[in-house]
Amino acid sequence: MFENRAIGLALVLPAATFAAALFLLPVGILLSEAFRTDAGWSVWSYVEFFQSPRNQTVFLRTLKLGALVAIVSAFVGYAAAFAIVSLPPTSRGRMFGLVALPLMISPVARTYAWLVILGRTGFVNRFLVDTGLIETPIRILFTETAVFIGLLQLFLPLMVISLVSAMENMPRDAIAAARILGANWFQVFWRVILPLTREGLVIGGTLVFTGAMTAYITPAILGGSKVLMLETLLYQRVTVANDFVAASVIAMILIVMAFSANLLLKQIATARNQR
Amino acid sequence: MLRIFTAASAIALACSSSAFAADKTLTISVYSFSQDEFQELVYSPFEAICDCKIVVETGNSVERMAKIEANKESPVIDMAVLSTHDALGAARKGLLQPIDVSSLSNHDKLYDIAKDPLGDNMGVGYTFYATSIVYRSDKVTVNSWSDLLSPELAGNVALPDITTNQGPPTLHMLGKAMGNTDTSLAAPIEKVGESADDIVTFYVRSSQLAQLMQQEEIWAAPVGRFAWGRFKDNGFPMAWAEPEEGQTGGMNVMVMTANNGNEELALQFMDFWLSTEIQTALAMNLIDSPANSEVTVSDDIAANLTYGADTVASLDLLTPSTILDMRDSWLEQWNTKVVK
Repeated sequence: MFENRAIGLALVLPAATFAAALFLLPVGILLSEAFRTDAGWSVWSYVEFFQSPRNQTVFLRTLKLGALVAIVSAFVGYAAAFAIVSLPPTSRGRMFGLVALPLMISPVARTYAWLVILGRTGFVNRFLVDTGLIETPIRILFTETAVFIGLLQLFLPLMVISLVSAMENMPRDAIAAARILGANWFQVFWRVILPLTREGLVIGGTLVFTGAMTAYITPAILGGSKVLMLETLLYQRVTVANDFVAASVIAMILIVMAFSANLLLKQIATARNQR
Repeated sequence: MLRIFTAASAIALACSSSAFAADKTLTISVYSFSQDEFQELVYSPFEAICDCKIVVETGNSVERMAKIEANKESPVIDMAVLSTHDALGAARKGLLQPIDVSSLSNHDKLYDIAKDPLGDNMGVGYTFYATSIVYRSDKVTVNSWSDLLSPELAGNVALPDITTNQGPPTLHMLGKAMGNTDTSLAAPIEKVGESADDIVTFYVRSSQLAQLMQQEEIWAAPVGRFAWGRFKDNGFPMAWAEPEEGQTGGMNVMVMTANNGNEELALQFMDFWLSTEIQTALAMNLIDSPANSEVTVSDDIAANLTYGADTVASLDLLTPSTILDMRDSWLEQWNTKVVK
């Protein structure tokens, strides 16, 4: 783009220096804590971390909830995105705005709203009791279900937005062509829409999975200490036990999980494309 | 460009010289609650008499302790208020210096247990709180700490998380109700672990608890007396339990950071805060229960505080050294037995 490559580099330099000095370097120092022991460099902290049954539970729960939120939001997201791109441009803009609206509201406020909605006297329980589906209110708050609902609501818009962008870039007549050639709706989705929107799915999936895994406020408020996730455990290790080594280990695990999710999704998308 | 630079330098110089010309400064580190009231009742009146400026740093104890530790060589904070066990932790790390209590004119007026709770005059108690059980009197009756784990309250009770200031005292009293006062807290932690499914949540903030009570998620929970105000007028019949095993609680202390170079002003401020006048003002506004024994308040006010020599003497408190020494072991047991 630039005739002189040096100009391009010079333009990149301030932002790169900023990121390196104030982000990469501190993160590197923090993460190196987890490899440093009295006897030198070692992975012992990780072994120790995963030896604890409690930590294993927390790790698996985080992985499970992150994956579940990503998968469900992909299903719901595709349906919503398909409906949105099928609308005329004016309505599409409005719908897109509505989807993005929750992102403009603080996650704290949104999560507190769930505290009221999911409570024993909240909307969900009242509806279930009034319709006769249950006799007495059930406990939803402070369970994995509550954390799942909160996280899904928090991150679903990211998936929808990613998929809408991907679908808008899809050739207009691809779906019609597939239908004319005799494909049913499942085949249209599996063989046409999915391959053509895989970039959106990879971006959306990574954002949702990473977001759900690293969210603090939602699991802290809706799950509490009975439903610990890696992020809430990290906070506990730092603020209560002053255990920065365990905290660094958790931070490293979260970073590795985020990168792995991204690579895995890319892999799946590429594999589908090659078939 | 040069002109702008010159102007900016001149402004910077003017600002810095005016800062040097300012009066003495006292930097304090305090809990973040009720700071508007503290400003009105304590900080502003003191600034008016000391010809100095108070810089207030707030945050939770961990953040504030970390800051004091990070600036150990050249202290930023002159005085801090902490829980007794956090203060003892700071003292053991050499972050504090003894307080010259002979220069505190109000020291003699304090309840005996507030005079030197950490030993070596490392801290002076300025407020207490009782911890007992707040409950819905139309749903249950609570006469013992063991009632928290009774079948009537199963699925309707919240307990403090072990990491909160209320957590260990609550477990201590549960142990006492079980006839086991061993400081390892092994028996009560085991018992709570067995009943974990019946406990709605392990709360970390008393404000969170008030909301759960309001939403009828819970009918009972152990809580510090300072939070009673959030419950008593919530529209439900609420009661404060007086369990047969007694009430527990905690104390907060003032401490002086080591080598801060501002000892004289810090002492003056501590003395002011401990004075009958200021302690009365804080009590009247239901901010802090008084540690000064000369404070007198009406029965109405007293009913909402941890007030009076008898009440203070009756509190079954865990010692700060016990909390500090056992904390890691309690957390480990808790994480294994309760948070599975």
